[in-house]
Amino acid sequence: MKDLEATLPQMEEAIRSGDEKQAAVLADKAVEAGAEPLEILQGLIMPTLRDIGDKFGRLELFLPEMMMAANAAKAIIAVIDPILKEKEQSGASFGRVVIGTVAGDVHDIGKNMVSVMLQVNGFEVIDLGTDVPVNTFLSSARSQEADIIAISSLLTTSLPYVKDVLAVLSETDEKDRFKVMVGGGPLTSEWAEEHGADGYGKDASEAVTLARKLIG
Amino acid sequence: MRNSGRLVDILDRMENGPVTSEKEFDLILVAARTQALVKEYELKFDGVNIINTDDDMADRCFHAGLTLAVDAGVYCTSNRRRLTWTRREIEDVIKHSPRSMTIGFGRDAISDVHRDPEDPRPPTIIGGPVGNPLPEELFLPVMQSYIQEPVVDAVINGTLDSVYSRVPRAGSPWELLSGWHEAEMSITAARRAGREGISIGCVQTATSDIAELSATSFGGFRKTDFHHIAMISELKTDYKLLNKMVHLIKTDSIVHTFCNPIYGGLAGGAEGIAVMGVAGMILLQMIYMTTTHSTSPTHPFFQGCNTTPEILWGTSLFTQALSRNTPFLLVVVTTPVSGPETRTLLYESAAMALTATVSGTARLMGPRSAGGTIPGHCSGLEARFAGEVGHAAAGMSREQASLLMQRIVPEYVDLLQTDMRGKRFDDVYDLDTLQPTAEWLGIYDQTVEEITGLGVPFS
Repeated sequence: MKDLEATLPQMEEAIRSGDEKQAAVLADKAVEAGAEPLEILQGLIMPTLRDIGDKFGRLELFLPEMMMAANAAKAIIAVIDPILKEKEQSGASFGRVVIGTVAGDVHDIGKNMVSVMLQVNGFEVIDLGTDVPVNTFLSSARSQEADIIAISSLLTTSLPYVKDVLAVLSETDEKDRFKVMVGGGPLTSEWAEEHGADGYGKDASEAVTLARKLIG
Repeated sequence: MRNSGRLVDILDRMENGPVTSEKEFDLILVAARTQALVKEYELKFDGVNIINTDDDMADRCFHAGLTLAVDAGVYCTSNRRRLTWTRREIEDVIKHSPRSMTIGFGRDAISDVHRDPEDPRPPTIIGGPVGNPLPEELFLPVMQSYIQEPVVDAVINGTLDSVYSRVPRAGSPWELLSGWHEAEMSITAARRAGREGISIGCVQTATSDIAELSATSFGGFRKTDFHHIAMISELKTDYKLLNKMVHLIKTDSIVHTFCNPIYGGLAGGAEGIAVMGVAGMILLQMIYMTTTHSTSPTHPFFQGCNTTPEILWGTSLFTQALSRNTPFLLVVVTTPVSGPETRTLLYESAAMALTATVSGTARLMGPRSAGGTIPGHCSGLEARFAGEVGHAAAGMSREQASLLMQRIVPEYVDLLQTDMRGKRFDDVYDLDTLQPTAEWLGIYDQTVEEITGLGVPFS
């Protein structure tokens, strides 16, 4: 018990400092000392990451710290996930998001900010990278059973590809299966509404609020 | 130009440089190294004095950025290799970089010259929407509204949102056609304004390599226009961007390159922006043999603006670092959150014009009104205003400018998260006369009076 009292704060510190190796070591130690994996996830990892996300929203810390914290948290989850599955306990994500920068566009930092913010706020994120073809968004969303397709675009000339995603979903009657949120330079809430997207986020913080609303 | 002879060498480094994972490049070589250099070189924004007045800190910032350029190099995402150079190689290239350049032709030829901090010569004024999307039917009058301003020395295009009413799709023939359409229309705008020789910043609509190559050929944009190549944030390139470089060098065109460090991103905070700004501008010369080095550091939350105190300070520091230690022709873009017919647009523009001019920029560019994101929310009048502030700030001391900033920045900073998009061009200009409306001109006149009262010497 004493071991656990010391280990849990150290685990939180490992997340905050982005120390993946130490996080994994402490996760093993905590589990051996009798910590409940669900409590580690819901009582430690999620509130810590949420706090980190909030701090990024206020720019009290920056993208690299947030990325490293998310990676450290993943290292802990890798340890506890098999136990959670064994106990048939939910790994608890708020939802699954497939995200990418659309075809013709290679900008990625804005998309990366949204991706990491979603992760630290409890979403499972599959990041498709940049210059993502229309079909890849759709096939990934289907195979991953995503809840949300999140599309980033910073170029006017890439907007037709965003429209294509929305058009295909509409034509294949998958419009209700996946929610689509968009963001990035030339995109606006008016554009999103006009073309049938489910929402627009002007920055990473707003993207999280929107994702939560879309999941309901 | 004397700096253009390294083409094969650059491609050899692209082909044979060390293989690195993108994750390692981003987190270790760029992010962690930047933060370590900030600490090592003791760079610090005090949160109050928005324009750096410490020459020693500027020089330390230069050395921090040079070290980052040596340690990280440029990452080519197409083949996962880094283009790297030794410190000696970089210093040699910096030494032979252009410190002056003539752009445009005929009566509208203009010379950019390297400026130092507090330089008494005004910067070159490049007016234009800097890629702001423009409805096709407004492209000609919008661009003419900039070109007709006497203080504007050269112009930078907006982005056409359609070509013959069709939406251009990246990588398709429509995109190529849109690049040609942009060339035809912007040259027409120049002719209509009586300034055919004015240099035009291009190709804004069509960003792919094939579209740039197409529109920058016979009958399209001219060699005397200035042609863009980006560095992807942070410190990255790819085959397509290098394709543009090869084409522009072989056609003896003017190469204008840019890097926009992202505040809160891999660069971190204000100090990291400053180090990344130096490294990025140095590496633009290394990979693209550029004529001019441009920047608009970007805020992640306020429409990508660059007028927050932290970004203004970071920009002042790295501009001074580079202008004191290199011959580079630096270009600073103003990206305000506000749009036309708002007082805040003019105050945001004044803030960056003052900051960049007293810090040693060779060119002031923009403003990219409404964050460059709201179609048609831009006009020539704000370019007039920004240019006039740039002229007024020439020869001003950094101390005086820093005091002025304490009166100017509070006029808008608390409003940055609100909707200040203003109005569309055809709501603030008479399309028949191509003159600003009485309302917009009234705001301009009032703001000129206010800023003059603060101590900015408008002529």
